[in-house]
This record gives sequence, C-alpha cells and structure tokens, in this order.
Amino acid sequence: MSTISIESVTKRFPNGFEALKGISTEIAAGSFTVILGPSGAGKSTLLRLLNGLEIPSGGSIRIAGEALDKGNLRKLRSSVAMVFQQFNLVDRLSVVTNVLTGRLAHRSWVGSVFYLFRTEDMDIAQQALARVGLTDKAWSRADKLSGGQQQRVGIARALAQRPKVILADEPVASLDPVSSEEIMGLLREIRDRDGITVVVNLHQVDLAKRFADRIIGMNSGRVVFDGPPAELSPQALRTIYQREGMEHDNHLDLALAYA
Amino acid sequence: MNKISKIYTASSVPAFPPRPRNLFPVWLAATLAVLWLIVHDLEISFETLVYGVADMGEYFSRYREPDFSDLSRYLELMGITLATALWGTVFALVVGFFLAPLAARNLSPHPLVYRLVREVLNFMRAMPDLLLALVFVAALGLGPLPGALALGVHTAGFLGKFFAESLERVDQGVYEGVASTGANFPQLVMYAGWPSILREALGFTLYILDRNVRMASVLGLVGAGGIGLALHDTVRMFDYGKSGALILVILVTILIIDYASAWLRRRLG
Repeated sequence: MSTISIESVTKRFPNGFEALKGISTEIAAGSFTVILGPSGAGKSTLLRLLNGLEIPSGGSIRIAGEALDKGNLRKLRSSVAMVFQQFNLVDRLSVVTNVLTGRLAHRSWVGSVFYLFRTEDMDIAQQALARVGLTDKAWSRADKLSGGQQQRVGIARALAQRPKVILADEPVASLDPVSSEEIMGLLREIRDRDGITVVVNLHQVDLAKRFADRIIGMNSGRVVFDGPPAELSPQALRTIYQREGMEHDNHLDLALAYA
Repeated sequence: MNKISKIYTASSVPAFPPRPRNLFPVWLAATLAVLWLIVHDLEISFETLVYGVADMGEYFSRYREPDFSDLSRYLELMGITLATALWGTVFALVVGFFLAPLAARNLSPHPLVYRLVREVLNFMRAMPDLLLALVFVAALGLGPLPGALALGVHTAGFLGKFFAESLERVDQGVYEGVASTGANFPQLVMYAGWPSILREALGFTLYILDRNVRMASVLGLVGAGGIGLALHDTVRMFDYGKSGALILVILVTILIIDYASAWLRRRLG
C-alpha cells in the first residue's frame, strides 16, 4: 500500500517557469525516500505540492487514498508534516509553543488562539521534545537555539502532529556536518520506530546513499533516476546533475569524483 | 581547462555588460524644480521670516514668568487629557488588532477583504481627529468621551496600517511553518503573525499613545475637555503667566511619556 501517489503532476508558476513537467510515482508507506537533483530541478516544488503549500497546475496527488484539494487541505496537512531548510520556527515563541503548533489542526480555534492547550497536547509535546533530546530547552525562546537544535524543534513540531508522512525540504542544507548527521539519524529513527513515511530533499549524495531505501533523481522538472542507493552509479549521478547545454562539464566531473 | 579560473591578460579583460540606467539625478532635479515652483507660485517670502524673528522673540518673552498658583487644577486637567489619550489608544489598538491581519496582503483570506479593509483604514486615517471630535462633541455632548472616540477612530487607521505592513514583512517561511501543520486563519495570525511583530507593534502603539497625548491637549479646544480647554481660555484672555504654566505642564508630561515608553520598549525587547 502506498501512502503517496503522484499522477502526472505538473506545476507552472505565474511567471511562466515550468518547475514540474509531469511527475508520476508512488511512495510506499513507511519508506525512506531521498530526492536528489540540482538547484532548480523542482525538488522543493514537488515537496511543497505534497503538503499543499503549492497547488498543482495539472495531475493529481493522493495521500493515503485521499485526493489533495482545496476542500480537505487543512485536514491532509495535519497528517503530512513538513520540515524546512530554514526551520521556519516562530522565533519569539518558546520551544514548547513551537512544538504545540503541531497540535493546532486538531483543536478548534477558540481555545488555541488564547494559547490554551489540553493536557494531552502537552503530553504529546513533552514526548516529541524528549524524542529530539531538547527537554531542558523547553522554555527557551526558539531563536536562542543553535541551528541544529532549531531543526530538532522543527522535527518535534512535525512529530507532535502525529503525522503519516514527514516531508523534509533540504533539512540539513544550513547545518554543519555533525548536526546534519544527527538530523538525518533522527529522521531515519522516526521512520524505523514509528513507521512514518519520510521523504527528504537533499544536496548531499553521500547522506542520500547512506540513509535512503530509495532515491529519486530529478533534473529540470522530470524524474531521471529512480531506484535503490546501490544502483546510483556515477553514470546515474551524471544524468541527475548534468546542466543544460554543457557537453563537457569539468565542475560536474570534479563534484561527482568526491560524491 | 577550467572556465572560471581562466587567467586574463590586461588587453583581453572582458568589458562589463552595459551599465543599468540610473534615474536618480533626473528625479532629484524634478523635485527641486517643483519645490522652487511652489515658492514662486505661492509667493512665499523668506524675507518676512527674517524680519519677523524679532517680533516672535518679543511675543514668546511674554511667557517668561509662568504662574503655577493653580498647579493642582492643571495636573487634574492633564490627568483627564492623559485618560482621554489612553482610551483613544486602547480603542485604536483593539480595532487595529482585528483589522490588521485582514489588511495584510499575505494573510488576508480574500483579495476583496484585503481591499475593503485597506479602504476602511484609509478612510479612518483620512478623517482628521479634530473634525471627528467636532462631530462627536455635537453627537455626544462636551467631555472627554468624544475626544477619546475621535482619537481612537483616527489612530486605529494608523495602527491598522502599521500592523498590517509589519505582518507583511514577516518571513513567508514562518507563516508556511505554521500553515504546514494545518492551522486555520485565526491560528495562523495568533501563532505566526502576532508573536513575530510583537516588539514592532508595541513600538507603534507607544508612538501613537505619545501622539494622542499631544493631540488630546489640542482637542480640548473644540470642547473635548482636558487641559486644552484651559489653555484655550487663558490664551484668549492674554493670561501669559497661566498659559506658560499650562504649556510647561504639557511639555513635561510629554517628556515623561517619551522616556517611559523608551524604557518600556527596552524592557520588553
């Protein structure tokens, strides 16, 4: 059974840029998928479509059998959590409050606009923060934390949603190598223990190879590779990262030599 | 060979692409021309100003000896004026709080709502508070209530606009972070919007309070009570001593408010 099914999805932005030129794929429940591709390949757009932050120009997206459309946007978002490159926390709120925002979709607005939460929501937030090892920072302001810690809060917010899917859009692009390792390990552990489907956009080929069960390679809005990490040959990497109009790209060769 | 690290000899350095046109000198010249035309057309004479300096000096010297014999009454009147300004500001704050998210382009639930609320705020701002006070005094009678209402309506237009523009400047990512969890409009406003602009919003509100205290002192002139009415009376009776004292009370109060609000902003920053 697949959690996410994407059917000939296209996305054209108002400025005429065609970010996705027809993507069709299924993402299995409980899988760890990494999407690789050069900047501008459409990786972020694809992930944002899955959370409804962008609306597809054509095609359809189904999450756990339910089609994603304007009517059930908020309901589906609550089960498809998102982790961002820039963390996208609310800087001036405490860590706990940031995690509790993960519960908002489950509550009516009456109590929540006054920052009142039920004890069960508090328990969920407490568990989520314990999972990412930030219990002692619970009452710190989010912007007082380091980048790695902020991303862990981002993951705790996602966990608090009790989601079926976690989408992570370049979650380690602004982090140092050690924090990157930590964040990827955390996402992997969440997949292993909770069976949550994880889809991650990455720029680091080595991280992709080590953490993914499946790699999707994208270039110029199309899927150009799809397979397990073992099949990610240098030739496949060339296809993924090749640049338009460049027959002999020395930078590409150099970059891939160390990938 | 690597493209970027190619070594250029002096003669083969590639030229820059054509420089983008800079229109600043044109705009500056046009502005100066308009300013000169205004002086010319309205026959504004700077000579009058020079000759008038001595007369002005003489007039202001009449306020040299302020008469504080009625100080307790002045302080009470100042209190009334302060209360008027405070209530006006609270009214503006509440109205701005609810209207601003609807008037922020990136938050507003619908472009039509955005336009409508923007126009309402523009209208409030465009109505001078002196005029509003006249209307409210006619409708509600003399006293501080019409003054507070006039200040409230006028400055709600300002606060609503300031808040809305602050909300528009918040990083789109913060809104996306909260929206991605499935939060609805009021939750988005309360969790991503207001916390992000709290400090700015406080600064604007304190500025509006400061402005309302000054304005409330003037509103007394049209019958909205407070210290302005007293000042109006003493100035009309050429009682320079008492007028001087009243002006000093107002000045000191405004200074205190200024320092207090600076201190408060530092504390809450």
